[in-house]
Parts: sequence; structure tokens; C-alpha cells
Amino acid sequence: MSDGTQQMLLRVSNLTIEYREAESPSGKLEAVRDVSLDIPRGGILALVGESGSGKTSLAHAILQLLPIASGQVLFQGRDLVGLNKAGMRAARRSIQAVFQDPLASLSPRRSIRQTLLEPLDHFAIGTKRGRSDIAAEAIEAVGLEKHLLDRYPHELSGGQRQRVGLARALVCGPDLVVADEPVSSLDVSMQARIVELILELRERLGVAFLFVSHDLSVVRRLADRVAVMYAGQIVESGPASQIFKSPAHPYTRALLRSVPVADPEHEAPIVLEGEPSQPLTPPTGCVFHKRCADALPDCPLHQPVERAISGTEQDHTEHRVRCHLWNS
Amino acid sequence: MSDSPALSVRNLCVYVREDRTERTVVDGVSFDLAPGEVLALVGESGCGKSKTAEAIMGLVPEAVGRVTADAIELGDLDLAALGERGLQKIRGCEISMVFQEPLTALDPVFSNGYQLATQYRRHRGQSRRQSRNSARDMLRRVGFDDPDRIMRSYPHQLSGGMRQRLIIAMAMACKPRVLVADEPTTALDVTTQAQVLSQMIQMGRDTGTAILLITHDLGIVAQYCDRALVMRQGLMVEDASVKTLFVSPDHAYTATLISAAREMSL
Amino acid sequence: MGGRTDILGKLKSDRAGLAGFLIVTFFFLIALGVWLGWLGQGWSDASGGRWESPGSAHWFGTNILGQDIFQRAVYSVRTAFEIGLVVAVFSTLLGAVLGALAGWYSGSWVDATVMWMKGVLDSIPFYLFVAALAFALHGQPWAMHLAMIATFWTTTGRLVRAEVMKIKSMDYVRSARSIGLHDSLILARHVLPNTSHILLVQATIAFVAAIKTEVILSFLGLGVQDGVSWGLMLAESTQEVLAGHFANFIAASGLLFLLLIGFNLLADALQDALDPRQAAL
Repeated sequence: MSDGTQQMLLRVSNLTIEYREAESPSGKLEAVRDVSLDIPRGGILALVGESGSGKTSLAHAILQLLPIASGQVLFQGRDLVGLNKAGMRAARRSIQAVFQDPLASLSPRRSIRQTLLEPLDHFAIGTKRGRSDIAAEAIEAVGLEKHLLDRYPHELSGGQRQRVGLARALVCGPDLVVADEPVSSLDVSMQARIVELILELRERLGVAFLFVSHDLSVVRRLADRVAVMYAGQIVESGPASQIFKSPAHPYTRALLRSVPVADPEHEAPIVLEGEPSQPLTPPTGCVFHKRCADALPDCPLHQPVERAISGTEQDHTEHRVRCHLWNS
Repeated sequence: MSDSPALSVRNLCVYVREDRTERTVVDGVSFDLAPGEVLALVGESGCGKSKTAEAIMGLVPEAVGRVTADAIELGDLDLAALGERGLQKIRGCEISMVFQEPLTALDPVFSNGYQLATQYRRHRGQSRRQSRNSARDMLRRVGFDDPDRIMRSYPHQLSGGMRQRLIIAMAMACKPRVLVADEPTTALDVTTQAQVLSQMIQMGRDTGTAILLITHDLGIVAQYCDRALVMRQGLMVEDASVKTLFVSPDHAYTATLISAAREMSL
Repeated sequence: MGGRTDILGKLKSDRAGLAGFLIVTFFFLIALGVWLGWLGQGWSDASGGRWESPGSAHWFGTNILGQDIFQRAVYSVRTAFEIGLVVAVFSTLLGAVLGALAGWYSGSWVDATVMWMKGVLDSIPFYLFVAALAFALHGQPWAMHLAMIATFWTTTGRLVRAEVMKIKSMDYVRSARSIGLHDSLILARHVLPNTSHILLVQATIAFVAAIKTEVILSFLGLGVQDGVSWGLMLAESTQEVLAGHFANFIAASGLLFLLLIGFNLLADALQDALDPRQAAL
């Protein structure tokens, strides 16, 4: 077990995140419930889910932007909760973020150079004079030209801004980058280029990525492993190839089959009826049973437990499902 | 159903004012939309597909651009000849439009039931009670399990997908001849998208409404539409049935779009 | 500040704004001249005869005490700018800081306190407040400035608070928080600069409001105590006009009118030029 912890760059165990919600009977709302996931050094884990799944809350909690109600977030073996100031600072430097909206993720009245220098100054990386060079390197590493350093965000295109966001994340040499829907607001061709860039950066720098997205086609080209979230829980996780080829959870299957394919002869997309479960009144038993085509009599009564259905933990190929269909 | 097209457009041009000159964003587009047909207007961002739809509905303001056409005919109605007042009478009634962002199409201070019932009162001349009943029926038809709750609540209390379905209900209330939907599901989750699109097309079949669906997603074109018009930089590059389009596209541009889409698909 | 060159560019193409800018600059130079002792120094000399007509010795004529109206009108430019600048700068700063704190910590006691202060100040009749302050400070010249600063900040505060609440949820603020920057640093570096479009416009509005308020206060005898201002000149002119002498009135109201128009044009143009939404196009 200690071996496993040593290997894992990020290990999240039984994490629960609550919001205060006056309208709920308990006064609280669980955005994320009992979630566990691992990311090895240089690994790319995609967190997939639709609105209300909790994936963004989970990403923000790992970035220490949200308080944790219960559970552990171990980064490089140390629990992020309860770190002292120095430890917190070191962790913040090693875990960086890229956000969704390229326009809103860069401070409008600061130049690109100022934006890139900010984390360098804050973490006192390198010498004062040397930081400009580091910023220039970062900007070129993401495929942009040095002269853009003196521009302002509104002078750049969406794709360029998103690259700047990546450059800012990389400028401190992090071990993990948490990217929250980084390509959702870009053109399809630009999406492909950013995906290529991320893969290339992982190869060259060994940076791990937690890639949050609702877009399955992007995830497929990028991820080593995929974790599927629904109503605050991870319902399925495993190697990307497995998830896409043989999805185990009914929600994952429905998700994959509702994406329209550019081929008129292909089977028609299936329609998942009903609404995602209302967060104020979570259903008893499995969170998905109301919309599940394969629900068993047990599903409304008991919450399913997460089980491995193939692969081994050792080589990080486990395929895990949280579903009664797989519990016998 | 007659053989004449529900919508007929000939040589539609839209010129957008930019500084002191004009830029041609739609350059001589012509097509027919048959009754009950689902026609996709597809292309990358900036190709002019949205402006085409806005021009047909008369929604391009003077200050923004200039519209010319040899013909824009909704069945026997000449849309190009109608002034703003005439267009207002038929908008929402004979020809309806659904936009990408549902929140801005709904008035936040009125309940959903009120807004939907108003369609029936205004365009079908129904009484207050009749219109509420019609509204309730319609909500059930677009897939809401609890229409009364929806009618009592307000737009901001609904999710994105639910709002979009409400807007489709409002658009279809009068059984229009044509429904123009401009990227109606781009802002929605993929499972919600499947719900909304399938319901919209089913409704179209029930009411005999032809649908002009504007999208950049070739998957949507392949799996939901009958025919497709491909646009590029203001020009109509191809007009074919979906089967033909994907099997043997005429134009090289169409072929590149299709292969790019296939690469990104699952 | 970002994109300063486009702001000047936008101003240049806006004729009305350009006119406003030129007018304000012209007046500013006059005020500067008075400060430096080059102009308007003879405002209190009662060297002329009573109510002399405009002539070569006294360009606008003299008032009832034989003082040169032109000199007095010119000196008043300095008074106006002094009041305008002091009140504009300090009320905007106060509003910016309190508004930002209220917005950043919205829902907490900080927000509640600031909002309470705002509520109390907004509900006090302004001239009563000034009179009370002037009395308490035994007629000190700063009583008027303090009263204006204490009441003008509330509008800026309210606008900044609303904007900060919006900015709080922007991803660039999240980025700053995620690397661990301290709240005060984030407010100073990322939040307040992005409210500058509001601050600049509010400052120009406060400038104009301060000048107008001074005119009324001086008219009521609660304003400028030593020195001369357009308000004082207008107060003097009420009796003079009845006797058929209009020079005082015309000089004071004319210059006041011109400066305020210039400022309004400039403020409108600035608002358009600084709107960050337009910058993104």
C-alpha cells in the first residue's frame, strides 16, 4: 500500500464537498460525495461529466479553492488539508490551474508578460532578471511568439489566450496541471491543436494533467484514464480505451451513445429521459436509478459500492464501476 | 400537404456595415425547404449561416446590415415585401425561431405558463382558460412530466435543457410552417442535446412544420436531418440529401469537414 | 493600465469628447496660472469705481465694491478646480476602497457595515449635514470639502461593490487565488484596476457635482469663506442684477456653464472609451 502511495502523484480518497444551502432540509448540499481517484506522475486523467455532476467542484477543491468536508487529498504523499504555510506554498506551486473561459482567465488590464511574471514573482523563482527569460521560454513552449508578451488579452484570439493560460500554468514547473474545460469555448480545429500541445508537454516535461471536460471526443484523444461523474459521484473509472470500448455503467453507456456521429448509417443517438437528479433532494439508493434503463429492484434501495471489474491496481489499469449490475 | 415548398429563398445577400464599407457575409444563397423537411444549414463559424437565418426572419437591423434577395417566400407569403409590422404578425406564428441562448429569449419576470399561454392567446385567439390548457398539453408533448410545476415556475428556475424545450414549445404553439433553430443545443450537455433535438424533430413531424437547423456539428446533420446545405464564407457550396452528402460529397470542402468530424468522433 | 493608446485614439475620433477635453484643459491651465501667481491675483483689490462698465482697465467691469470682475472670475477657476479635484479624488478613493471591501467580502459583517454607513449617509439631508459640520468645525474652510467627500463616496461605493461582486467570480481572480496570493494583493492588483472605468467616470461626475454644490453652498454663505468663487459672485450678483448690472452674473454663470459642459462632454467620451466590453471587439 505504501508503495502505491509513493507512486501516486495525486491520491484523492473518499472526498466529500458540501455547500451551505438554506433551501435543503439538512442545510447542506453535497456537490461531491465520497470520491476517490489517483493520478500517477505524468499521467493524464480526464474527469468527465455533465452539468451538475460536481466535476468542477472537485477540481476547485484539489486547487484548494473550496473547503473539504471530509476525506483526503494526498499530493506527493502529503495531505493538502492541514498543511503548514510553507507546505501550502510548495503545494500551490506544484499544482497549477488552467480555466475555461480564455477571456475571463486573463486579467484584462495586465499585459501577457505581467500575467506570466506574477506566479514567478510570487514564488520567487529564479532571479529577478532571469524571470523574463523564463516567461519567454514558456510562451514559446506553447507555440506563441515572444512579441505577444507585450500585448493585452483583448488583442489575442481565443486560442492564443488559452495558450497563454497554459503557459502561465507551466511557468513554475508544476507537477500537476488542473485544467477545467480548457478547450470548450474554442473552434474544433483549435481544440485539436491544444490537445496536441498538451500531449507534447506531457512528453517533454512529464507534467500530469487532471483534465475536466464534458466533451467526450476531446477526452478520447487525450486521456490515459477516464473517470465518469454523475450527481457528485464517480460512477465509473478506468483506462480510456476500456471506457470507450466497453463502458460498464449504464450512464456511461448512455452518455457515449447520445453523441451524434457523422455517419447517417450509424445507430441513432439514444435519448436519456428525465432530468439529472435535483441536488436538493438526492434519491435514495443509486443516484442514477430513476433514469436507468437497466435498473434492478435493489437500485432504489441501496447505494452501490465501487468495485473493480478488471485490471490491476499495480499497473494502474483497474476498471472500476459503482453499479448494482456488477455487484453480483 | 402540397408540393410547393414551405420556404423558398432565391439569391439572398447580406452585406454587413463595417467602418465605412460593406462586407458580404451572405453571397447569393438559394434553396427550397419542403414541408415537414429537416434541413441543416451547416458550416464553420463565420460562414454566414446565422445571418442567412436572421435575414429570412427580417431580423437584420438597418444599422447592422443590408439584405437583398430575388425572393424570400414562406409558401404564398412574400417575406421580402412585408414591412416590419407585417413580419411581426407572422413571427412566432407562421415562422418561428429558436436561438442558442435560451435565457435571453425568456422574460424573467413572467412565469413560464404565462409566457407559453400568451402564444395561444395572441396568435390563436384562445381564451385565458383555453390557452392555459393548451399550454399544459404542449408542455407534456415536449416531454415535461410535471407540466403544472413548470407552468408555475419561472425561467431562472429551469435548467438549460428545460428552458430550451420550453422555447421550442412556445415556437411550435401555433404550428408554424417553418421553425428556424440556430445552434439550439450548442450550449447544452450531450444527453440533454439528444433529448431536445429528438423532441424538436418529433414535434415537427406532428405539426407538419419544416425545420431549418443551423449547426456546425456534422454529427447532428448526419443523425437528425434529411438534407443539408453546406456554407463557406457566405457561399452555398453544396446542397444534397444527407445520405448523398456523407457518401459522396460533391465539393472538396465538404469532404474535409466530414473527415475532420469523423476524426474527432468516438 | 492596459491599452492606453487605444483610449486616446478613441477620444480623438469623438469630436464632442475632444471639445470637452480641450475646454477642460483650457480651464485647468488657467487654474494653474492662478496657483502659480500669474493670473487673477487682483481679485480682492477694490481699486476701481463702483459698477464700472467693461473697459480697458477692467475687462468685465467692476462690482459693487470696485473689485475687478474679470480677476475675480479667473481666480474662481482655481477655487473650482481645487474643490473639484479634492472632492473627486478623495470621494472616489473612499468609494473605491469601501466598495471593493464590501463587494469582496459580500454577505459578511464588512459588507453589512459599509452598506449601513451608506444607508445612513444617504438618508441625511445634505445641506443640513454641511451646516452641522461647518458649525462643528467653527467655520473651517475644509468643512465643505469634508461634507462632500463624506456623502459623495456612496454612489461610487455602490457601483464598485456591484462590479467587484462580478469580478470575484472571474477566472483570472480564481487563478490568482489558486497560486495563493493574499486577498489584499488580489484586490489591489487584479480587482480595483478592473473597476477603473467606473472610477474615472465617477470622479468626473464628482468633480462636476462638487463645483455645483460649492456654488449653492457659497450662495447660502456656507461655502468658501476666504477667496472668491463663482458661487460667491452669483450671491453678490443677486442684488446687482436688480440695480441693472449684469456683468457679475454673466461672468460667473457663463464660465461655470462652459466648464461644466466641457466636463460633461469629456465624461461621456471617457465612459465610451473605457468600456471594457467595447475594448474586446
